[in-house]
Amino acid sequence: MNIPTELGTEKVGVLLRRYAVPAIIAMTASSLYNIVDSIFIGQGVGALAISALAVCFPFQNLAAAFGSMVGVGASTLISVKLGQKDYKTAQMVLGNVVLLNVLIGLIFTFLSLAFLEPILFVFGASEQTIGYASQYMGIILCGNIVTHLYLGLNSVLRSAGHPRKSMYTTILTVVLNSILDPLFIFGFGWGIQGAAWATVLAQIVSLLWQIKLFSDKKELLHFQKGIFTLKKRIVSAALAIGLSPFLMNVASCFIVILINNSLKKHGGDLAIGAYGIVNRIMFMFVMFVMGINQGMQPIAGYNYGARQISRLLEVLKKACFYATLVTTSGFLLAELAPGLVARIFTHDEELIELAKYGLRISFLAFPIVGYQMVISNFFQSIGLAKSAIFLSLTRQVLFLIPFLIIFPNLFGITGVWASMPSADIIAAITSAIMIMRQIKKWKKAGIMSETLTAA
Amino acid sequence: MIINIGRQLGSGGREIGEKLAAELNYAYYDKELLQIAAKESGIAPELFTKADENSQGKFPGAYWGMHIPYTNGLMPFSSGLDNDSLFRIQSDTIRNLAEQGNCVFVGRCADYILRERTDCLNIFISADPNMRIKRLMEYEENLNVRKATEIMEDKDKERAEYYNFYSGKNWGRADSYHLCINSSLLGIDGTVRLLKTIVGKLVEG
Repeated sequence: MNIPTELGTEKVGVLLRRYAVPAIIAMTASSLYNIVDSIFIGQGVGALAISALAVCFPFQNLAAAFGSMVGVGASTLISVKLGQKDYKTAQMVLGNVVLLNVLIGLIFTFLSLAFLEPILFVFGASEQTIGYASQYMGIILCGNIVTHLYLGLNSVLRSAGHPRKSMYTTILTVVLNSILDPLFIFGFGWGIQGAAWATVLAQIVSLLWQIKLFSDKKELLHFQKGIFTLKKRIVSAALAIGLSPFLMNVASCFIVILINNSLKKHGGDLAIGAYGIVNRIMFMFVMFVMGINQGMQPIAGYNYGARQISRLLEVLKKACFYATLVTTSGFLLAELAPGLVARIFTHDEELIELAKYGLRISFLAFPIVGYQMVISNFFQSIGLAKSAIFLSLTRQVLFLIPFLIIFPNLFGITGVWASMPSADIIAAITSAIMIMRQIKKWKKAGIMSETLTAA
Repeated sequence: MIINIGRQLGSGGREIGEKLAAELNYAYYDKELLQIAAKESGIAPELFTKADENSQGKFPGAYWGMHIPYTNGLMPFSSGLDNDSLFRIQSDTIRNLAEQGNCVFVGRCADYILRERTDCLNIFISADPNMRIKRLMEYEENLNVRKATEIMEDKDKERAEYYNFYSGKNWGRADSYHLCINSSLLGIDGTVRLLKTIVGKLVEG
């Protein structure tokens, strides 16, 4: 047993800080990648390039979703096998990850390069943006295998007992990208292609580092002869595990496509660019909350397992408080200084106006998003996966889709922006009801008695 | 000597295991394992019961719908309560108990968990479907044939998924075990006698 006992004894606030801070750093670093890319493209290439980038988003995400499907499944398998000291099978999983990623990456690249422009039009491109979009995406797709391997090996690295190295790899990629972006865009004048090359090159360097790590024969898991043959059981198990997160990613791609097309119809290309800006700012705050959630996980899990319900509820309350603090700051920033935010990305006045409007409306319900996300993750950490999946789907898929279909037809572009806070509100109410029912259940089962005396 | 018994629901595998353990004077572990694992880890027993012989819920983190590329799979911490973590704790319990001497384990992939040991006898017990349904209906009231068949099929699927996922072998297939036997052939007591003879021969060497 190596569950640290501090989880059951140390002050909850101290624990939350100890576990959440590294997670927040990792999360924020990866959100920076997307912001930096966007800023350089917006400032260095132009407003339409931001729109093109926003059109490429769901495409890029879809490509990454295929890569991480293999990675997530394989890393779960590996941690199970390592837990059983079954090193031989764990090695085989590593070999299979590499093969599968290359295979899926190749197929995806060929298919999507063959139909690049039609796909981009479906995703929301127009005659004005298709040039930028296909230049950018063409390069990203050529580097697709690298992306897949990089994501897959990073998952494996983490489950093979190197969560830190896996985090450093992510940060290395972000930092490299932030250095290469201005060099390629401003220094070499490569335009939007420069941003794509920076992304691919940063991933290549990270991948090389990963390969070096996995070539070390002293490592528990390393590349060796004989592991590179596909095993039916490993492949099917890895894909089965990776399937549900994959489907979630596909669903979120679909939502972005829906939003992009709706914005294009009611507001034109620049409206899509405005969403690109709104989405990135929102994402930064969401990632912060994700970091808090990550810190909450082991604390909530341990105390739930040990039936220390008062500590369990304390960590929930504290996490909700910090998360609300974060999302409320986001809300204030978007409502009070939307122009300041938009100007970081572009100097095009029309795009700035569109982004300001979008920021103001879509952040309206943001203060309550914080606790909604915490509760969804809370269910996950106490092993109620189904409730957790349901709740994380409500805000971004289930409740959002009907609004996205109805609102824009009634209110035009305002309707697209308003769909987001509307879905947020219903999702927040749903999660409040679900957590209250859960607490009632505990009270009924009598495991709350300890809380009652403590309170 | 460690005897690991895999079994179909309603095949009488548990009864056979219990009787065999009593005859040989071995310790016997079935659901008791969960209580022991819970006690050793300090995790509530209900959680083990919920995850018991179930590989479902392999849910690798609430990291969804981010709408943004290259951020998947950043999950530095786990809650330690997922089925895989509980399986790991249970595996430690099984290994510790096996260290303490002769015993019979029923289910829970014990044959795989103890695969490094040389003193294991791995058995799979099946039975004719009619017999299994009859047994199920004896155990539980208000069960008709259709319902019993349904339960039987569901349980077979669930146990196969669990076993295949963790062990990487095939549940109920001859090459996964030393001995596979249909309990309808000799009946419960007949099967126990047969197994006792085999264990006796093995122990003598």
